[in-house]
Amino acid sequence: MAMRNAYIDQFPKEARVIRAILWSSFLALTIGGTLGLIQGLHRTNVLRFIPSQDYYTVLTAHGVLLVITFTIFFLVGIFTWAVTTSLDRGVKDIRFTWGWYAIMMIGTLLVGVSILGGVVDQIPMNADVLYTFYSPFQAHPAFYVGFVLFVVGTWLAGFDWFRTWWAWKKDNPDERIPLPTFMALTTMLFWYLSSIGVAISILAFLLPWSLGIIDSVNPLLTRTLFWFFGHPVVYFWLMPAYMLWYTMLPKLSGGKLFSDPLARVVFVLFLILSTPVGIHHQYLDPGIAEGFKFIAMTNTMFLLLPSLLTAFTVVASMEHGARQRGGKGYLSWLKALPWRDPAFTGMALAGLMFAAGGFSGMINAGLSINYLVHNSWWVVGHFHLTVGTAAALTFMAASYWFIPQLTGKEIWNRSLGLVQVVLWFIGMTFMSNAMHRAGLFGMPRRTAEPQYQGFDFEPAVGTVAEIDAQVALGAALLTLSVYLFITNMVLTTIGGSTSDAIPDNTYAGTLSGPEDAPVIIDNLKLWTSIAVVLVIIAYSLPLASIIDAGGLFGPGIDPWKPSVVADPSLVLESVRGVMP
Amino acid sequence: MSSAIEKGVDGKHPTNETDQVRELDHDEYDPIGTAILVGIYFLILVALWIFMYFVEFLGNGPTVTGVLLTVVGLA
Repeated sequence: MAMRNAYIDQFPKEARVIRAILWSSFLALTIGGTLGLIQGLHRTNVLRFIPSQDYYTVLTAHGVLLVITFTIFFLVGIFTWAVTTSLDRGVKDIRFTWGWYAIMMIGTLLVGVSILGGVVDQIPMNADVLYTFYSPFQAHPAFYVGFVLFVVGTWLAGFDWFRTWWAWKKDNPDERIPLPTFMALTTMLFWYLSSIGVAISILAFLLPWSLGIIDSVNPLLTRTLFWFFGHPVVYFWLMPAYMLWYTMLPKLSGGKLFSDPLARVVFVLFLILSTPVGIHHQYLDPGIAEGFKFIAMTNTMFLLLPSLLTAFTVVASMEHGARQRGGKGYLSWLKALPWRDPAFTGMALAGLMFAAGGFSGMINAGLSINYLVHNSWWVVGHFHLTVGTAAALTFMAASYWFIPQLTGKEIWNRSLGLVQVVLWFIGMTFMSNAMHRAGLFGMPRRTAEPQYQGFDFEPAVGTVAEIDAQVALGAALLTLSVYLFITNMVLTTIGGSTSDAIPDNTYAGTLSGPEDAPVIIDNLKLWTSIAVVLVIIAYSLPLASIIDAGGLFGPGIDPWKPSVVADPSLVLESVRGVMP
Repeated sequence: MSSAIEKGVDGKHPTNETDQVRELDHDEYDPIGTAILVGIYFLILVALWIFMYFVEFLGNGPTVTGVLLTVVGLA
């Protein structure tokens, strides 16, 4: 009998820590998903069993648990797999790996307990500040400390992967960086660069303010520092999904990655462009001049390029697999793909939804069209396609491949897995299209009761009741899908029996390998330097102008009168604003 | 390169996850189906952009007002 060669056989110690990490991720998904259902039913007035005053507590927990805890725990688990597998060596010191995981857990608990304080009277804390924690919303210091600890944990995780790579490089001085490691390292580089923003926002301003050391903060400054980190974080969610699409989907399709060099170019573009775009979340912030917003928009439009490159490369790799499996014709090769495999189908559907999310993202990115959808339910519809499907569905689907690798056990019920991923796709189709449409007629996001007296929304097509019904139905299907997923994972882990039929721990081969990529592509120092320069160009003048206008610690928020006529004194003030 | 890269049917690490019936190398493979799908996506985007014109510019009043000075942040 052939020796089994799953991840757990190759790296038993690392498999243990990754299992713990993925379970933390799944727990966050289960709680966060349940809270999503509560919100969906509450907003649409289908079922209201929490007071509307508690809506922000639930919304904060939903956001933080899903977009920070679930996604980032999954990322650090998968990146640890990617680095160790592709370098074919374990981490340098497994205690260090457990160490950063413990720091991330402590951070999560602090954040979680402080948010829970919003609904539990026995906990003397409060952190109803939503995932963006804009001032003047103020959270208990434990929230900020927990957030910082969590981020520091990810920094140490990155260090863990870098030093594993350095050790590998010493032994293999002339080899190209294996693709999965290249992806993990470039992702971490923009993460280091961008999380400096949120670190400054919290450590210099929000935490001292929450502790009473300083009296006030400049809300626009902390917002801008948040989005300095807040847009790159969306790529931080997405990059593990991209890595899985590039390294696993071709293999699951039965083919090879179309182009390794193109995949590297994509990750280099994300490293360069992820950070200098954050201001596109602030198109409606009055304290930032239109010109700076225009720069952010230009960078953002360039950022579409790597995603469009990915669409081509990944689909071409799937087509390669389909044709190797006997697929023929212009489009009938699609039928030759392994649609019964939940890992394949989940990831493919996630990619399909991301194509739709790409369109609504282009709308968000446009400076003038953004005004139409800003702060509306459209935006919520958009990010449920991106982080809520491209990332979340990919992660769940990939788990049908990874959990057997990490436990040595077969999935408890693969057919149920297939039902689960398809259910997610259907649920999200209902929920997300309804949210997008609601946004178009101005229905706001982040609102417990968007039902107003003496005012009715006027949808161009359909009715508000129909849109609400779609959202409630979608939310119910999505939550059911999460429960099916977690049931399958639990029963696989505790109930399943060890199997010798687990496939080898491999990732996709390539049609065009790294030898076809110019060596400069692997020059991480060069790309990081360019990224830093772009960040300086995009952010130095806006930040100087914000500090000049509102002060480093506020509270200089003078009443501002909108004007369409150029008032000479305002012109002078603006000139002073851009030239500190 | 690392040994974890999948080698395919004739390599050292065949996978039991695929039902491969033939091997297509780089020069034999022509991703025509992908080109068609990308083309369809492009047409959908164009159609949605045209639709957006009606939603944004005909459905509402103008959202950006003022002349050059407003745009460059001087007013």
